[in-house]
Amino acid sequence: MKLPARLVAPVAAALVLVAAACAPQTSDNGAEGDDRTGTLRVWLFQEVDNRPKEQVVDAAVTAFEKRHPGADVQVEYIPVDTRAQRVKAAFNDPASAPDVIEYGNTDTAGYVEDGGLADVSAEFAAWPDARDTDPAARASVTVDGKVYGAPLFVGVRALYYRTDVFQELGLRPPRTQTELIATAKRIRAAKPGLYGIAVGGAYTYGALPFLWAHGGELATPGGGSYTSAVDGAAARRGIAAYTSLFGDDNCPAAKCASMGGNATVTAFASGRAAMAIGGDFSHAAVEAGAAKGRYAVVPLPGVTEGSIAPAFAGGNNVGVLRSSSHRTLAVDLMKSLAGKDTQRRLFDAMGFLPTYTDVRAEAARKQPFVKPFIDTLAAGARFVPASPAWGRIDASLVLPTMFQEIVSGRKDVATASRDAAQKMDAAFASAAG
Amino acid sequence: MTHDTGRTAPTARRGPGPGPGPGSGTAPGPSPGRPLPTATASPFPSSSRRRPRRRPARGLDGGRAPWIYLAPALVVLGGLLVYPVYQLGLISLLEYTQAQVSGGEPTSFQGLGNYAALLRDPQFRQVLLATVVFAAACVVTTLAVGCALAVLLTRIRALPRLVLMLAALGAWATPAVTGSTVWVFLFDPDSGPVNRMLGLGDFSWTYGRYSAFALVLFEVVWCSFPFVMVTVYAGIRAVPAEVLEAAALDGASQWRTWRSVTAPILRPVLLVVTIQSVIWDFKVFTQIYVMTNGGGIAGQNLVLNVYAYQTAFASSQYSLGAAIGVVMLLILLAITLVHLRIVRRQGEEL
Amino acid sequence: MRTHRPRRLAAEAAALLIAAVVAFPLYWMALSALKPAGEIQSTDARPWTLSPSLDSFRRVFEQQDFGRYFLNSLFVAGAVVLASALIAFLAATAVTRFRFRFRTTLLVMFLIAQMVPVEALTIPLFFLMRDLGQLNTLGSLILPHIAFSLPFAIWMLRGFVRAVPEALEEAAYVDGASRARFLWQILFPLVLPGLVATSVFSFISTWNDFLFAKSFLISDTSQSTLPMALLVFFKPDENDWGGIMAASTVMTVPVLVFFVLVQRRLVSGLGGAVKD
Repeated sequence: MKLPARLVAPVAAALVLVAAACAPQTSDNGAEGDDRTGTLRVWLFQEVDNRPKEQVVDAAVTAFEKRHPGADVQVEYIPVDTRAQRVKAAFNDPASAPDVIEYGNTDTAGYVEDGGLADVSAEFAAWPDARDTDPAARASVTVDGKVYGAPLFVGVRALYYRTDVFQELGLRPPRTQTELIATAKRIRAAKPGLYGIAVGGAYTYGALPFLWAHGGELATPGGGSYTSAVDGAAARRGIAAYTSLFGDDNCPAAKCASMGGNATVTAFASGRAAMAIGGDFSHAAVEAGAAKGRYAVVPLPGVTEGSIAPAFAGGNNVGVLRSSSHRTLAVDLMKSLAGKDTQRRLFDAMGFLPTYTDVRAEAARKQPFVKPFIDTLAAGARFVPASPAWGRIDASLVLPTMFQEIVSGRKDVATASRDAAQKMDAAFASAAG
Repeated sequence: MTHDTGRTAPTARRGPGPGPGPGSGTAPGPSPGRPLPTATASPFPSSSRRRPRRRPARGLDGGRAPWIYLAPALVVLGGLLVYPVYQLGLISLLEYTQAQVSGGEPTSFQGLGNYAALLRDPQFRQVLLATVVFAAACVVTTLAVGCALAVLLTRIRALPRLVLMLAALGAWATPAVTGSTVWVFLFDPDSGPVNRMLGLGDFSWTYGRYSAFALVLFEVVWCSFPFVMVTVYAGIRAVPAEVLEAAALDGASQWRTWRSVTAPILRPVLLVVTIQSVIWDFKVFTQIYVMTNGGGIAGQNLVLNVYAYQTAFASSQYSLGAAIGVVMLLILLAITLVHLRIVRRQGEEL
Repeated sequence: MRTHRPRRLAAEAAALLIAAVVAFPLYWMALSALKPAGEIQSTDARPWTLSPSLDSFRRVFEQQDFGRYFLNSLFVAGAVVLASALIAFLAATAVTRFRFRFRTTLLVMFLIAQMVPVEALTIPLFFLMRDLGQLNTLGSLILPHIAFSLPFAIWMLRGFVRAVPEALEEAAYVDGASRARFLWQILFPLVLPGLVATSVFSFISTWNDFLFAKSFLISDTSQSTLPMALLVFFKPDENDWGGIMAASTVMTVPVLVFFVLVQRRLVSGLGGAVKD
């Protein structure tokens, strides 16, 4: 049994090393130069049915490359679900980071705190297009008065439903959430092959309108930070309403617990669901699917008759990374990707709601389908807590875990929401401290 | 009488490459399959007092030569294995999140704070328990299947043996990513063949905690039993035929022959196979990550390795992730030390 | 013998049945890759296809820069195999043919090194690779994999090195051969078959890697490797199972070929490595 003795030497050596060595390094994200030629890397999100988006982007990129000979733009479409890891890695290694990224507006605060995004306030102020940017969109790229990108589109969700199914069963579009739930279950009972309404355990932004409509809050501000409120009585009622949609009488938990927003839209588009909560940005995917020509959209109803449930004011932005060594080119590329011209074409191709008030009004005249989305926006959309901690809460799946725990019967609403609130508070606390 | 070490020791000394014995036909050339003259028999010219003079003069002391030969390996391992392990330990003692990495905030020393946080975290305790139970289930199943098939291989003629060998090699060679993908597809509720064959309708294997773990277990066993089977088979073949015949002539029953002849010879083989399986199954990552989509519904299928990765990279709590990694390392270290102790107790040498 | 005949037949039938079950996933993979698009999604999955098509393979090689990823993977695995085989050969020679202080300690360390959970080291390795300027390059995959392949390779090679009779070494020195000459011209060729068998493990672990590729190849898609390319076929809308299975097949075949080629040495090599 000489072994422990033999181990002493290396262990001791390691201890000496520990004592002598210095802490792991940190990175400096500042840019080194501003090249006018070379490769520009762009990350955009991969959408359900991505092809129309690619075509618009390709056109914008080609025009950009013509304006800037010597610039080569490489676009990569990255999955939304795992974006946190990719973007984090990019922030940590400026040398291999992309120059321009699309990012969700919920990530703005966190990315700025991480020091990843470049401050483009001056360029944004001097940009003619930006004068028509709507205030809410402008706020979504602004942190402490500085602008960190250009809004790309406004994302707001409403209720898609199948007109043929509703007609056949003699149903009308639901006008309260209670009616919505009852309608979903009636459809499922009459047509067991369909989900009444496709819902997902990982579809946070589809669930939030239920929470808000019941008067609940994600978190309440105070003392420079936030305190979670998902375990409040009103929030719990909303959570209970949403999770009551999981079950064999609407959307079986075995299938729906793991679904995210994209999966529910896919279910609707391919004709497997009679209703779904989809965004303006889901329009192209639904048009390309089996449900084409047999659906309509109304605002998601609130608790009381005639009210609209507060929607999540989503949307994506385009930003330049602080580490980019092609700042001038990158800002110019950002402008052409998020400019009026591209937004107009993105709307035509994907249904992405423009962030410019004039372009949006023009879109609404051209395409009546955006009306319910604009009505939803007008009724007052809400946002997630504007804290850098939100990125972490989102990436560590606090809310999806809560919904999944409830729908799989592992925890009741009270316990699951209390546990989620604790995790959120821990994140808020560490972001504040 | 327990397994007498007296029996194992001579076998271990029998030859340096106690792979398939003479005449097994699987060991061509100067591979370790061929037993060597007993003069050079001991694999290790160690400082053991029992066998003081093993090596010829030159082998006794190489001066600086062995260190020159070892230098590349030591440099690589020092730089790319030991140093990262040390860094891992260091990070686990710091407050190290995205803000520190980007240089936004200074790093601060936390002592064992991260470990304390882990111990307070009920999810960590649950994941730790799940990891231990899951790894144990995988090891037991893999060993049982592998050993049973190794015995089966000795009972059948060459052609079916070759067929089974090739099938097993195919499973062994399949990359973990593709293996996991294919198994998920096989058990897919909508388009997979398994549910149809078993008449399970659209039963979703990944929904329930246990069925999801079971699915991963199938894949893990599928891709790791061949190693056990092949190794144990080689071990059985190394039992000299004369010994078995002698036992048969003595009228020993099959069970007795197994107990007092085959098992002792196989024990070292089984030990190594077990420890390798424990190490592999405890660290399982790709299968869980791919098959349960990063840890399953509400994180129900997380194991330590995936949990550490998610904590570090998804939530960017690098120091907490590092602390989980250190805990894993310590557990595996403890298992390895126990293993070495058993090996030593049996009178064998490294 | 005769009395055992029915039992042997039963055993052989069982063996063939088990072989079929074990081979089934691979068969299904290849089959699905060859099925025309309509048949894969259809709910009644038939275990054969009457109209095999190469469409899925075509899609794989056209839609993505798959050929390039294949070569990247091959390059990374090849570099790791060569480097780790050479380094492990030297180290295995040192620990089997010499006697020196700390020899056993080193052996224990090599054993312990095998159990380090590679995935846990992703964090420090990320920062290390960054400081070496290797992120986003294939070097960030090659370097760590050399290190992770070494301990097991050394462990396994010991058996092969030891099997070369010492008498040969003495004879070489008597003939006036230098140590280097003995090492490279006598020992190395004799151990080569073992090196090949050992290489299978380095090859597989490198070929399979997807965590490092996922974490270290941040934005340069031209450096991507096969496992990453495979994951691209998992789409948010609808998994392209035909494409996934075709890509999986392309990824599995080289390892399978390598395995079958070294199969016999592998069996003997494991027997040797494991018995120590």
